[in-house]
Amino acid sequence: MINPPSDNQPAWCPGCGNFPILKTLDEAIEEAGLDRRRLVLVSGIGQAAKLPHYTRANVCNGLHGRALPAATGIKLANARLEVVVTSGDGDMYGEGGNHLLHAFRRNIGVKCFVHNNQVYGLTKGQASPTSDPGFKTKVQTHGVVAEPVRPLALAVVEGCSLVMRSTATDREHLRGMMVEALGHTGGTVLLDILQPCVTFNDVNTYKWYKERARPVPDDHDPTDFDAAMKLAMTWGEAIPIGVIYRSGRESFESKQPALTGGTLLEQFEKAAG
Amino acid sequence: MDLLIRVAGEAGQGVQTTGTLLVSALAEMGLHVFAIQSYMSRIRGGLNWFDVRIGDAPLYAGREQADVLVALTDEALATLRPHVTDGGAVLLDADPDNEDTEPGEGCLCIPLTAIAKETGGSSVMANAVAAGAVFALLGYDLSALTDYFATAFEKKGEETIEANVRCAEAGAGRLGESAGSLDAPEPSGEAVSVADGTEAVGLAAATAGVKVATAYPMTPATGILTYLAGVDETYGIVVEQAEDEIAAVNMVCGATYAGVPALTMTSGGGFALMVEGLSLAGIHELPLVIVLAQRPGPATGLPTRTAQQDLLFALHAGHGEFPRAIFAPGTPEQAYHLTRRALETAHRFQTPVILMTDQYLADLVMDTPPLDAVLRPIDRHVATDAGPDYMRYAVTDDGISPRAVPGGEAFVVLDSDVHTEDGHITEDLEAHVRLQDKRMRKLDGLTEHALAPDRYGPGDAEWLLLCWGSTYGPCREAVDRLRAEGQRAAMLHFGQVWPLKTSVVRRAVGLEGDDARMPARIVCVEGNQTGQFRTVLAEAGVPLECESLTKYDGLPFTGEEIAERIQT
Repeated sequence: MINPPSDNQPAWCPGCGNFPILKTLDEAIEEAGLDRRRLVLVSGIGQAAKLPHYTRANVCNGLHGRALPAATGIKLANARLEVVVTSGDGDMYGEGGNHLLHAFRRNIGVKCFVHNNQVYGLTKGQASPTSDPGFKTKVQTHGVVAEPVRPLALAVVEGCSLVMRSTATDREHLRGMMVEALGHTGGTVLLDILQPCVTFNDVNTYKWYKERARPVPDDHDPTDFDAAMKLAMTWGEAIPIGVIYRSGRESFESKQPALTGGTLLEQFEKAAG
Repeated sequence: MDLLIRVAGEAGQGVQTTGTLLVSALAEMGLHVFAIQSYMSRIRGGLNWFDVRIGDAPLYAGREQADVLVALTDEALATLRPHVTDGGAVLLDADPDNEDTEPGEGCLCIPLTAIAKETGGSSVMANAVAAGAVFALLGYDLSALTDYFATAFEKKGEETIEANVRCAEAGAGRLGESAGSLDAPEPSGEAVSVADGTEAVGLAAATAGVKVATAYPMTPATGILTYLAGVDETYGIVVEQAEDEIAAVNMVCGATYAGVPALTMTSGGGFALMVEGLSLAGIHELPLVIVLAQRPGPATGLPTRTAQQDLLFALHAGHGEFPRAIFAPGTPEQAYHLTRRALETAHRFQTPVILMTDQYLADLVMDTPPLDAVLRPIDRHVATDAGPDYMRYAVTDDGISPRAVPGGEAFVVLDSDVHTEDGHITEDLEAHVRLQDKRMRKLDGLTEHALAPDRYGPGDAEWLLLCWGSTYGPCREAVDRLRAEGQRAAMLHFGQVWPLKTSVVRRAVGLEGDDARMPARIVCVEGNQTGQFRTVLAEAGVPLECESLTKYDGLPFTGEEIAERIQT
C-alpha cells in the first residue's frame, strides 16, 4: 500500500482567512473563560468545517449542510454544553439553507460562526450562495446570475436572538463579537464572518473587505427591526460590521416543559440510577 | 366463533370514533378483539371503514367478509354490501319512512344521525346510536356499553354520559324483532386488554428512556410522534417536529452523541432522505434508531395503505459499508419488546438500528397483555472513566470502543471523514482500513446476538410458511386453517430480519440439525412483489428453493387468503 503522509496540521492554503478565525476563536474562548470540556464544536463539510480539528474541544463534524440539526440535538440533550457551529457559507447558506431558516425560528442556544468567503474552496472555486452577481468561475462562466443569499436579513426576519457580522480581516473586532456570542444566553446567534479566500476569490480580498467594513453607527438600536433590516441589507461600498439585531425572544429550550427538571441527560442519568 | 362488524362512511363522519368505541366496550366485556382500518388519504369525504372482529378465542388478523355492516352513506352501502356474509346484517343511516330510500332486502334503516340530534342534541353522538344498535343486534347487554360511557366520558361530565346512554338506548330500541337475531360470541366477563402498534412503539420508546424524538410528519409513522407528544411531560421527552427528515435524523445523531437515547420515525420517502444520516451514524458509531413505517411506493405511492416493500432498501441504505440491525415486529406486543431491543442493540453496538413496521401494524388493535408503562431506562453502555487521553475509536477485539459523552473530563471527537482512533480527520489509508475493520467487527457481535425466528406449529411440518413483520398474524391464522383442514403446517416468523445467524436459520428451516427434515414446501409470505425476504435469506447464507406468496395491492393479508392461495 502506498500510504500518503498524514498529520493533523491545518489543510488550509497559506494565507487562508481561516487561520485568523481559528486564532481569534482560541483567544475568544480564553477571554470568555469557557471550560473547553463543556465546549462542543459542530461543523459540516468544507475547508472551514475542518476548524474543530485544529483546536481543543469536543467535536461533532457531520454531514454537509447538517451542522445545525446536529447542534440542535446536542443542545436539546445537554443544554449545559456550549454548542458552537463553525462552518462555511456553502455549508450553512447553501446545502444547509433550510435548516438555517428553521434554526432561527426555533431560536435554540446554538452559536453559528459562519466563515463567509463568498466562494467554494474545497471543490475548487465555484460560486457560493453569497457570491456577488457577475462573479465568474469555471462553472459560472458568464458570471453569477442569482441574487446572493442575505443571511443577516434572513436571521432578522425569522427572529434570531442575536445577529452579528465581523470580518477575519479585523481580529480585534472579531474577537469582541465572538466573546459576546459565547456569553449570549437568549437563543441562536448568527455571526457572519467575512473571510478572504486567497486561492479562488480574487475579488473579495483582504484589501476589499478592509476597505468596506464599517462598524455599525454608535446610535444604531439593535432592537429596532427596521433599522436592523436596513443594516442587514447594506452591501457594497460600505459593509456594516457589529451587532445588527437583538430579537429579545425567549430561547427554545426555555420553553420546553420537559427541560424544567434539568437537562435531558441529567434526567436520564437520574432515572437510570 | 368470531364475528366481524364493519362501520363505514366518509372521512369525518365518525367511523373511527364508532369503531374505537366498539373495540373498547367489547373488549371490556371479555371478548377477544382484532380491529383494523381502511382509510383514504383525505380529511373529508371518500369511503373509510373500521373493522372490529370479535371472538371467543384470540384473533390475529382481519377478514374480507363482514357479518354486520353499519353504512353511514349510500356509497358505503353500495361498495361494501357485496362483502357481507350470507345471513349477515346491514344497518343503514337512513329514515325508514322516506320513500326515496331503497336500501334493498335485509337492510335495516335507522336514522342514526337524526336520532343523535333529537336524543343527544348533537349529530356527533350518532356513533353511540350505532353502537347501541349493534349491541342490540348481537343480543349483548347494553349495560356494558353504558358502563363504558361512564369511564370514557368521565371528564366531560354527567350530562355527556347521560346523553350518550340515551342515544345508545334509542339506537337499541330501533332494532325491533331483529334484536338478538345474529349469533354472536359469548363474552367471558373478564376484560381483555388491547393495544395498537403505534402506542406499543411509543410506550416502549418512552419507557426505555428516549429523551429526544424528532420527525417530519408522514403517514403511517406520525402516530408515534403524536403518542410521544402526549406523554412528553410524564416521561421527560422533547418532541420536535423537524423541518424535514434530514434534520430529524441529524438531530437524533446530535442528541445521541450528547448522551441521551433518541429516536426518529418516518415512512419510505422520508427514510430516503435520512439515508445520508444513517451512513453518518455508521461512521460516527452512534446509537441511531429509525422507525420505518412502510406504505406502498414508489415515491408517494399510497399514503394510507400498507406494504412490506422497503426491506432491501433498509438493508442496503447508506453509502459505504457499516453494520446495522433490522427488527420487524408482528404484533403490538412484539412491537413493544422489539422497540426496546432496537434501542438496547443500538447502544450496545453503537451502530444504527431500523425498526420496520407498516400501516397495518401501526393501526391494528388486538389483544395485548398490559404493556409496562414504568420508566426503565436502557443501559447506554457509556464509559464514565474517560480521561484526558481518551480516544473515541480505540481499536478493540469486538470492535466496540468505550463510548464517552461530551461534558466530562475527556474530549469526545467525532468526524464524518475517515478518522484515526482519536476521532480526528485523516487520510492515512492504514488507519482507514484499521477503523473500517473495527467497525465491521461489530457485525459479528450483532449476528451472535441476533434473535432466532419464532416457530408456530409442529416441528415436523410438511408445509412451512416464512414471514417477517406484520404478516405474523395472517400467517398464524393461515396455519390454524391449514391444520384444521388436516395439513401439517407451521410458520417461522422473523422479528429480527438482519443480521441473521446462518446456522440458527438453517436449523429452524430444517436444513440442518439432529432431526433435520426439510419441509415438502416452504412458502415465503410477504407484502411486496419481488419476494425480498428470500433475497435477505440468501444474503444471510440461507439460499432457499422456496415459493413466494406475495401481495402488493396496498391491503394486508388475511389468514383465509393465505390458506386459500397456498392450496391452489
